[in-house]
Amino acid sequence: MELELRNLSCGYGERTVINSISFSINAGEVIGLLGANGCGKTTLIKTILGLQPVQGGEVLLDGKNIKNWSSAQIARVIGYIPQMHTPPFPFQVLDVVLMGRTAHIKPFASPAKKDVKIAQQALEMLNISYLQDRVYTEISGGERQLVLIARALAQEPRILIMDEPTASLDFGNQIKVLSHVKQLAGLNIAVLMSCHFPEHAFIYSNRAVLLNNGRILCNGTPDEAITSERLKTLYGIDVDIVTVKNRMNQDLRVCIPSRSLAEQDKSLQLIERRKEYALA
Amino acid sequence: METVVQRRISEIVTKRDAGWKIIILLLTLILIFILSFALGRYPVPPGQLLEVLAARVLPLEPTWNATVETVIFQVRLPRIFAAILVGAALSTAGAAYQGMFKNPLVSPDILGASAGAGFGAALGIYFSFSMLGIQLMAFVGGLLAVGLTYGISIRIRHDPMLALVLSGIMIGSLFTAAISCIKYIADPYDKLPAITFWLMGSLASITPRDVYMVLIPILLGGILLYLLRWRLNVLAMGEEEARVLGIYTTLMKTIVIVCCTLMTAASVSISGLIGWVGLVIPHLARMIVGPNYRVLLPASILLGGAYLLLVDDLARLLASMEIPLGILTALIGVPFFLYLLLNSKWGWK
Repeated sequence: MELELRNLSCGYGERTVINSISFSINAGEVIGLLGANGCGKTTLIKTILGLQPVQGGEVLLDGKNIKNWSSAQIARVIGYIPQMHTPPFPFQVLDVVLMGRTAHIKPFASPAKKDVKIAQQALEMLNISYLQDRVYTEISGGERQLVLIARALAQEPRILIMDEPTASLDFGNQIKVLSHVKQLAGLNIAVLMSCHFPEHAFIYSNRAVLLNNGRILCNGTPDEAITSERLKTLYGIDVDIVTVKNRMNQDLRVCIPSRSLAEQDKSLQLIERRKEYALA
Repeated sequence: METVVQRRISEIVTKRDAGWKIIILLLTLILIFILSFALGRYPVPPGQLLEVLAARVLPLEPTWNATVETVIFQVRLPRIFAAILVGAALSTAGAAYQGMFKNPLVSPDILGASAGAGFGAALGIYFSFSMLGIQLMAFVGGLLAVGLTYGISIRIRHDPMLALVLSGIMIGSLFTAAISCIKYIADPYDKLPAITFWLMGSLASITPRDVYMVLIPILLGGILLYLLRWRLNVLAMGEEEARVLGIYTTLMKTIVIVCCTLMTAASVSISGLIGWVGLVIPHLARMIVGPNYRVLLPASILLGGAYLLLVDDLARLLASMEIPLGILTALIGVPFFLYLLLNSKWGWK
């Protein structure tokens, strides 16, 4: 299964946010989508999912344009993991995961035993079977995110799209969730994940797509694509990228932000002046 | 291995649990049903009730006088059926709307159905229509108000759910003002009291024909919502998520609105304005069986029917004069809702 974006343009109403971009994702690949706030990551994701109209170009699944596909047709192929959220009603975890089966069951039907089995397998795959009978609104944020991944897996999709799956998660949960993402690629699922931190793209993706002003700045392996110049273009800050070894002797690339000395001087001067005012 | 067994057990227990709760609710409804015959100015004891009912299908020698049969079939049975139907319809509509709007504070009149029906009825009374005419006016008024709300909301380029609620509030206020207008110009000795009493809600003058009439729209809406109840769960996760999970939300939302409006407008057309049932009962049902619509919807139907039947019995019995049902549901519903709010187990977050 291959998802291909060909000269895709999208946006809200008259405004174009994403301008004629092209790239493709293959089975077993994890693509990290990087870009500043407002660069159009979410718009792009929503357009692929069919939530936003395509302004130009096309979204192709195995070469077929999905423009006229129904929500159920798309849901049987593409799974979506939203940012962590809280629904208004305290559904059981198993029921939340079963919602992933919606596209596979008839309109007037409820999930059958077979669907329950698929949902339980999805929970098992993420090692969270113990959560099955718990209440979704009462478990921790990290657990909730894993449940949403399980729900997407219950959809039996061939492509998974995640919109900053680790936003609002603590440090430990970010790593736990992301290591599962890498495991998904092993199931021959293509993963497109927008991420906040370039470091996450280094560790967990095979390819990085850098979005800037609605265009692709670079598309390549994380090591090639993510450089300190490009991060400066993307986020407007100076970043040093260094390679370190973790305790398992693996090479890791980390980003170290730095502010120029001149800027620091300026802020120090401001603090001094404040103090003077306060004394006077 | 042990965990697998434990999981199986807990799965069975939770499933059985919900089933038992539904059975208990059903038994409660049946109990109140039988009790409702035995209570009142002309009590029919359960034994006699059973005999009279059995005589309809079995060749039994009547040991009772004809008045009993008239009381059962012409007066009490229609009223009991009407109370169950209206209570169940309002609760089902309320439960469905609360999920669709992702808001546990929504009631079936959110889109203006009650205000529109009230306006239709007031207009019917003003023009001295027959009872049937007034009921039809109320039903059409309810449909018209929600139709207007829907028509306006799809032209608002904003969050569609917010647009729907906002235009519902507007249209509701508009029709409420129109009701006041009719009351103002109506004959104060004859028409005004009739309109006022109608708006208070009552099942005192229900006839068998009324029950037959509302049966079709209420069953139509109810059955469709019942069949779609799994999808109501998904819709409660939010419109975008429901779409991504494979639901054609535009159609689904329209079906929910049409079903709820049919049920609400039909109910209001024979009972007048009865508030709080559609808001409170889904909450109570959620506290008992949880938020999953697979069991929440049947629980709301049974609980709503039982509740309104009980309150209607109180309306008949509490005082020497009938108390308007709408007043009683508010007098009982509001303290009860406050109790729920003060209670920590809300059934929603």
